[in-house]
Amino acid sequence: MKRSFAAVMLSGVLGLVGGLAQAADDVLKVGMSGSYFPFTFVEQDTLKGFEVDVMRAVGEELGVEVQFETANFSGLFGMLESGRIDTIANQITITEERQAKYLFTEPYVYDGAQVVVRAGNDEISGVEDLRGKRVAVNLGSNYEQLLRELPFADEIDIRTYDSNIEQDTALGRVDAFVMDRVSASQVIQEKPLPLQLAGEPFSSIRNALPFRDTEADRALRDRVDEALAALREDGTLTAISERWFGTDITRP
Amino acid sequence: MRILDFDYMLGLVPILLRYLPLTLQMAAAGMALALVLSCGLAVIRVLRIPGLNAATMLFISFFRGTPLLVQLFLFYYGLPQVLAFLTQINGITATIMGLTLHFSAYMAESIRAAIVGVDRSQTEAALSIGMTNSQLMRRIVLPQATRVAVPTLMNYFIDMIKATSLAFTLGVTELMGATQKEAAGSFLYFEAFITVAVMYWIIVELLAWFQRWLEGRLNRAYRR
Repeated sequence: MKRSFAAVMLSGVLGLVGGLAQAADDVLKVGMSGSYFPFTFVEQDTLKGFEVDVMRAVGEELGVEVQFETANFSGLFGMLESGRIDTIANQITITEERQAKYLFTEPYVYDGAQVVVRAGNDEISGVEDLRGKRVAVNLGSNYEQLLRELPFADEIDIRTYDSNIEQDTALGRVDAFVMDRVSASQVIQEKPLPLQLAGEPFSSIRNALPFRDTEADRALRDRVDEALAALREDGTLTAISERWFGTDITRP
Repeated sequence: MRILDFDYMLGLVPILLRYLPLTLQMAAAGMALALVLSCGLAVIRVLRIPGLNAATMLFISFFRGTPLLVQLFLFYYGLPQVLAFLTQINGITATIMGLTLHFSAYMAESIRAAIVGVDRSQTEAALSIGMTNSQLMRRIVLPQATRVAVPTLMNYFIDMIKATSLAFTLGVTELMGATQKEAAGSFLYFEAFITVAVMYWIIVELLAWFQRWLEGRLNRAYRR
């Protein structure tokens, strides 16, 4: 008993030391939720997705190693803020609040906010029909903000989730969820959930990589920006987008 | 109603098993540290050591009075904004710290109750035959208190194992985090979460067996 306890305590201490040893310049630490299909998700214990491919290409372009850190979405900005990651690749939308606090790269995804309902629910055919309905959004995501800015926001019952909004809509626990059009179409196409798009996208969205507003991070942001520009130039971004979405979402 | 995808569930088990050691290590480390800390806190409370007693009561009040998730966020995301060096603490360490502080507050109270619960006549008898205070504690009070405390402490350990599932919010991919990410890839939520539920359940059942064995041992002296 005593010995195994000692082993466990040692592993706890090693964890601490391991944490102290993490500080290398040639590593780009990228945070993502790992649970946002098809941008970042796990299959058979392997992290995959559009964001993963884009960041690997950025790393290759910069000649640095990309290290992915996965956490619940609600923890990602905390990790960025406390310096545990360098940026977040999780389809982060540029908003005014975020721009006031973080430095963004140029947008690398252009998209729109989309209402999604349970298959067969023809009562809702757009954002106007959300009055008096229960609508799910991811906690801390900009879709919550988008809904709250609508002129009839106080008539919508907005529910925030950490994950599984698609599942709760399919179950009928909420009437709709709001997500970006691209991943919503992907979900409907590829996954066995009874869902359908409700109307056209209602707001244009630009996604980019946020960095902390410090001198060192500004330099890093500039380098990443250059890498993204080069990848756009040589068609890599388009190729990655075509592979995951069958269309180019990296251009307006 | 669709049929469960058993092949997917079977395929998931070996993947999730890779994350089980981390879950168990965090719980075991948290429990070992919490045992040490809570014993100290309980002794302070029992002996009513001036000054320390009030501090201990404040500690217990805070860590019992706030949700574990709040404490984890506070350590991992909050404090580093105030004390920059705390950024060095990784998610695993922060989880172990959170579990230790949170659960030691509860455990201190049940250890205190177990010590106080040993009948006063036992103490009087021991002192009457000339035992010193430390002999009294080691030979008479603690063995009896241990027997009383074990079931509740095991309860806290079981709770702690399940509480490690909060660690994914701190970026630690343990059993639950791995399940969430796999479920996001397959959208087979029911299959993924029922698989992980059964895994937690089996672990806790194994512990329950251990608890029965341990209680049997500690009860030897009371058997007729």
